[in-house]
Amino acid sequence: MQLTLDYNETWLHRMNPAFKLVFFLFLFLGLLFIHNPNIITYVTLLPLILVAFFTGHKRKLLLILMIPFLLLFVSSSSSMIFFGQGTTTWWKWGLIHITEESFYRGLHIGFRALNFALLGLIFALTTRPVLLFYSLTQQLKVPPRFAYSFMAAVRILPMMVEEFQQLKNALLVRGVKKEKGWKRITQSITLYAVPLLSQSIRRAHRIAVAMESKQFHNGKRTYYYETRLSKFDGLFVLYIVLGVVTMVWLGLEVPTYEITDVRNSD
Amino acid sequence: MRVGVTNLRVKYAGASELLFNDLTLHIEKGEKVLLLGPSGCGKSTLLQVLSGLIPAAVPVPMKVEEKMIPESTGYVFQDPDAQFCMPYVDEEMAFVLENRAIPRSEMKGLINTYLDKVGLHFDDPHVEIATLSQGMKQRLAIASVLSLEPDVLYLDEPTALLDPEGTKDVWETIKKIDDDQTMVIVEHKVDHVIDFVDRVVLFDDSGTILADSDPETILSFYKHKMKEFGIWYPGIWKEHEHGLKRETKNALSVMTIEDLKGFKGKKCLVELPEAVIHEGEWIVITGENGAGKSSLLLSIMQVLKTTGDVHVDGKALHSIKEAREKLAFVFQNPEFQFVTNSVYDELAYSMSEDVQNRVTTWLQNYELLNHQHQHPYQLSTGQKRKLSVGTALFGNQRILLLDEPTFGQDAKNTFKLLEYFEDLRSKGITIMMVTHDPNIVETYATREWIISKGRRVSDRNVNRGEEAVVHAVDS
Repeated sequence: MQLTLDYNETWLHRMNPAFKLVFFLFLFLGLLFIHNPNIITYVTLLPLILVAFFTGHKRKLLLILMIPFLLLFVSSSSSMIFFGQGTTTWWKWGLIHITEESFYRGLHIGFRALNFALLGLIFALTTRPVLLFYSLTQQLKVPPRFAYSFMAAVRILPMMVEEFQQLKNALLVRGVKKEKGWKRITQSITLYAVPLLSQSIRRAHRIAVAMESKQFHNGKRTYYYETRLSKFDGLFVLYIVLGVVTMVWLGLEVPTYEITDVRNSD
Repeated sequence: MRVGVTNLRVKYAGASELLFNDLTLHIEKGEKVLLLGPSGCGKSTLLQVLSGLIPAAVPVPMKVEEKMIPESTGYVFQDPDAQFCMPYVDEEMAFVLENRAIPRSEMKGLINTYLDKVGLHFDDPHVEIATLSQGMKQRLAIASVLSLEPDVLYLDEPTALLDPEGTKDVWETIKKIDDDQTMVIVEHKVDHVIDFVDRVVLFDDSGTILADSDPETILSFYKHKMKEFGIWYPGIWKEHEHGLKRETKNALSVMTIEDLKGFKGKKCLVELPEAVIHEGEWIVITGENGAGKSSLLLSIMQVLKTTGDVHVDGKALHSIKEAREKLAFVFQNPEFQFVTNSVYDELAYSMSEDVQNRVTTWLQNYELLNHQHQHPYQLSTGQKRKLSVGTALFGNQRILLLDEPTFGQDAKNTFKLLEYFEDLRSKGITIMMVTHDPNIVETYATREWIISKGRRVSDRNVNRGEEAVVHAVDS
């Protein structure tokens, strides 16, 4: 079973994965400190441009992946817009109460969620798990024991998907009578989880023994992929810094909304 | 002595008896030794002890007076999908070199050298392992093990899960490895190795050494023992008393297939323009791995999305539910078909009338009465298979579809199963069976379909062994 996607390698792929991981975590944190909806709206352009032009994946795939993100945007902002607190009422109907404050706060939260999602997408689309684990052991000194176990685990996933299919077919052929209500849940756990887990545990054990038989150890080793910091990491930092500065300036000088801070102003 | 144990004792947790009781085995440098014995006699365990995996990686209680385990060992396992930890060929090869702390600059060259040794040639070895055939995966496993530069090479049924083509390739690869390489081998497919090894160690079912000698001696003096314990040996099929029942071919058609196509998504996996299947036929479906044999069975069973017609007893099948009443289906992995917690419940699951009587009769007939309260997972592989056939035939269906039922079983279990199927066939059940084993085709099949790239490329009637003999006498 094939789960890999075809893509062209771009400069985002050539970044150091461990550095990328840490830097993205800081970006996530930084996003929490933006309270001006004008700024966060402009800032969203930064990851959007990267996703659209620099992930090296097919347009069609990217568009499909964007669907859930738009849903995320709509759902996270709408709940705040409809039910949030505020003083300047625009519209009221039953439980739904839209105020100016809640509207902008909702938009803000929507954009924040969109930013998180886009950054996550960039990371997922431009990082090979194998290189990430190599980089984690080399740059962040994660013990090889963990890194290589994770890589082995990644390999098991597609096999589990295939086994799930087979199991589903087998149960269909057996004509399993479906229980009703709560019992249905416990039934599916015993029917699916037990055989799938027992297969996977046995396979994981076999792989572990195979790895040890190939003299795998936690000590000193050389690396097939040497991961270093490169100019691409610098380029990315530069892009983010320049981008954020520009977007903050735009947000302050060319605001699109009247509100500048979504926190309660009292 | 290159490798060996003196007075070895091993006991698995929960087992009532010792697996080995004072077993002694010494192997010299350059020897190629074949360990032969029935399933469950402990050959694989012994191999793991000799390679040091037990107790270092697999904690099993053992005691030994003296042991000599080489510093560097290479172990090739049975399951091609459970011995790699990396997704790409070059990365997997590099994994071993990294473990040996070989400098990075030398890796690329070494990877190519070792891949060459097993006859795997890639322009760029950055190839996904998942895209390789099972036989190629096993050759990759051998290459990665060779890159350990092992003093002793251990092969634990390296071809058990391969088709005939893959088996041949793997053994040809192994035979090309340096002459002075010490090897300890466990292999059921004896035909491929018997000319290659210099020594055979024969075990009985309790893990005691029956004989230890050169292959000729073993084959000439211990054949009766091998027969008794159900061990594969060359020529076993010729001597097998297959108890073929009378042909019941009376040209009564039970199933007709027209324009059948099986799909996965929009992709057509297999197609069969037309077929008429008669009562009492034993149709064997052969072809390479991935040719579409299993897909054909799944299409007939309506598990895949299908177009076209399948009629059984004049009734068209449209859904799995309808198919289930007419066809019994046994999957490759019997464990997936078990849905209850005891052997008895498993058989009773789909029955509606006269349950107790029918289940007990079945259990008695097929020697599982003593196991009726056990969990199905606790049965041996042969018993699991038998039980899954029993559960599939709950409603007296007249057609039995089997997906590689004899895969990886020892001679005893294989023949038992085949005799069971033959017994069913003589009672009027039609059998359609996917297999890789040409011997089954020759001995049991009445008809063979060869599938290639999703199409049936050959449909021929086979003269069963018995008739062939009669024919020979006539002429």
